[in-house]
Amino acid sequence: MSFLQARGVVRAYGRTPALRGVTLDVAEGEILAVTGPSGCGKSTLLHCLAGILRPDAGQVTWRGERIDEWSESARSRLRRTEFGVLFQFGQLVAELTAAENVALPLLLAGTGRREARTAALTWLERLGVAEVADAPPGEMSGGQQQRCALARALVTEPRVLFADEPTGALDTLTGEQVLTQLVRLAREQRTTVVLVTHEPRIAAYADREVTLRDGTVDRSGLGLDAPLPGGHR
Amino acid sequence: MTPGTLFRLARAGTRADTARVALTALSAALATLAGLAALTVLAIPTPPATDGNSVRWSLQYTNGLLREPGLRGGLAFALVLLVVPVLGLAGQCARLGAPARDRRLAALRLAGATPHQVTRIAAAETGLASLLGTVGGLAVFLAGRRLLHRPGPDGRLPLPTDVHPAPPAVLAVALGLPLLAAVVTAVLLRRVTTTPFGMVRRARTRAPWPWPGLLILVGLALFAAFRPVGLWYERRHAEPPPWLLPTLLILGALAAMVGVIAGTGWLSHAAGRLLHRYGRRPAALLAARRLTTDPWAGSRTFAALLAALIFGAGAAGIRADFLATIELNHRTGAGMAGSDSFYLGAMDLVDLAVAVSVAIAGGGLLVAVVEGIVTRRRAYAALVATGVPRATIGRSLLWQSLAPAVPAIGLALAVGYLLVRGVFPAPAGGGYPQEVCDAGERLCGDPATRARYTRTEWVPEVTVPPHVPWEQLAWFAAAGLAAVLLTVGVGLLFLRASTTVEELRTT
Repeated sequence: MSFLQARGVVRAYGRTPALRGVTLDVAEGEILAVTGPSGCGKSTLLHCLAGILRPDAGQVTWRGERIDEWSESARSRLRRTEFGVLFQFGQLVAELTAAENVALPLLLAGTGRREARTAALTWLERLGVAEVADAPPGEMSGGQQQRCALARALVTEPRVLFADEPTGALDTLTGEQVLTQLVRLAREQRTTVVLVTHEPRIAAYADREVTLRDGTVDRSGLGLDAPLPGGHR
Repeated sequence: MTPGTLFRLARAGTRADTARVALTALSAALATLAGLAALTVLAIPTPPATDGNSVRWSLQYTNGLLREPGLRGGLAFALVLLVVPVLGLAGQCARLGAPARDRRLAALRLAGATPHQVTRIAAAETGLASLLGTVGGLAVFLAGRRLLHRPGPDGRLPLPTDVHPAPPAVLAVALGLPLLAAVVTAVLLRRVTTTPFGMVRRARTRAPWPWPGLLILVGLALFAAFRPVGLWYERRHAEPPPWLLPTLLILGALAAMVGVIAGTGWLSHAAGRLLHRYGRRPAALLAARRLTTDPWAGSRTFAALLAALIFGAGAAGIRADFLATIELNHRTGAGMAGSDSFYLGAMDLVDLAVAVSVAIAGGGLLVAVVEGIVTRRRAYAALVATGVPRATIGRSLLWQSLAPAVPAIGLALAVGYLLVRGVFPAPAGGGYPQEVCDAGERLCGDPATRARYTRTEWVPEVTVPPHVPWEQLAWFAAAGLAAVLLTVGVGLLFLRASTTVEELRTT
């Protein structure tokens, strides 16, 4: 049984096609980079795989079940429990402290406040940002905010982490630090990662790279949809 | 910057800007109509006293509120009070589409505009929209006068369509409102530093102090001083200066109103802290943090509603006093037949004005709720993408509105009622002898027999404390809460559209 699959996924925004029949398999525990130029459909593919968007045609299966047929609340529950999502920016709630932001998914799952806070502090500690636990996002640097967002994405110990240009808003050094932590923690937890990026340097952290071009998987180039030798394991 | 450039830049904008301009113009039109209606009522001339009209009533009108010179001031005041929620609505409209406007103004800064020029552009936008509204309001007023000028068979008029407000006063309203709107915009932008990289709001982050409580007490004290001051002059057989008693009431009402509205900031903060301490669900946590981070949002949002409710509770207090007076008249046999129903009818009109005010304030609330959702759409979209149910965000918005609204509405009603109670003592009468003849109309009416059947009775001293109008106050509270719930419910319709994944794609 496949872990996470897309089969002939088609998705358009109005009359503009974003995906034109993408087929893709994601293996359990792997770190997959989805690359390609701007507007090729990378983010749309990630949103379809994560159940944020429903494809216009095609199938998305998670452990053999077609999640594209699930109701929105069922897909929301899946994202809350089995998946973690990390974006480029704008994802932390401005009024909550770092610890509260990280604890939010646990609170939604019904965990008690004290327990959720303890778990949040542990994750902030692991990501080296425990000192901003009681600060709101506005008082943090971009790197600290992104680490908090990563902590929030991982606090539920998800099976899959979807990261959409997670270092796009950070400087090179900070971006590399965040990505190193992401990859280390994912490997420690055996979390599968689907990483969308347009930067080859970031894609090099992955086990395998899939390139999209004009809404389809590009199989013409060298090293596309192929394991990356070595990477940053 | 030439006026032409200023005009062109003030007109530029997105659909949200167009909606803001349209709503600002509508608010200005409503305020103009209310202002001109008040001026028209004040323009009604009081005829000289004659044998047939010793009380100097303006008999050309069918409505007692227009006929009696003593009631016209109150009617004009009530009409002016209608402007308060309208101005509240205008204030909320100014915040509509603020992020888009912020980006546009920041782009102007990037293109080389100075902060002063940006402020002038924003003020010009509001001023022009208000001018459009006042001109529209003036046109509707003039057309309405023509259409509503319908004398009855006896030649009497239902509305004062036979008098014109003074032209300078009309001009003052038509030009003063846009000017006021522009100045208020410029003053509000003082707290906003327009940088080429976006707007930086210097928001107040410290917890509000409970000083508004002091203002409320001052307001109540000024109202309570009304009667003792009058009695003080009465005991000395002197008249108080004509400005003294109205000043006490105006200052008292203003202090109490500002106290309640500003006090909502403190209530919001306190409610947020309580929610944070005792709330268990994420919706409560989200709402608690929003309330403590920006407690003044509650003051801004509910200002017009609270002003209307203070006024309504005061009116309920006056009605209770009328009812107590009617009861007293029944017990002592005093009073003038027919006047009871007239005054109660006038109070019905006041209640109608309060209902209209609450409805207008509801419009302002709706704008505030939608603006709050649209401003935070990216954070909400990210939450939804990570699996947070929209219902959780909806519940947090509900908490955010209800947690400060419930105590604030209670406070507004209590203050409004207590203000009136401070002025009106419990009606008292009796304590004097009275001639009674109960032998029938024929014997009592005949001077020859009247004296035989007439006896003198002592009318005991009676005090009728007015009942607290719980039912009416409860209706006002329910109307206020219904306005809050309805606007949050309608606002939530925008939540789905504002939390789509497309919001995450825009930078």
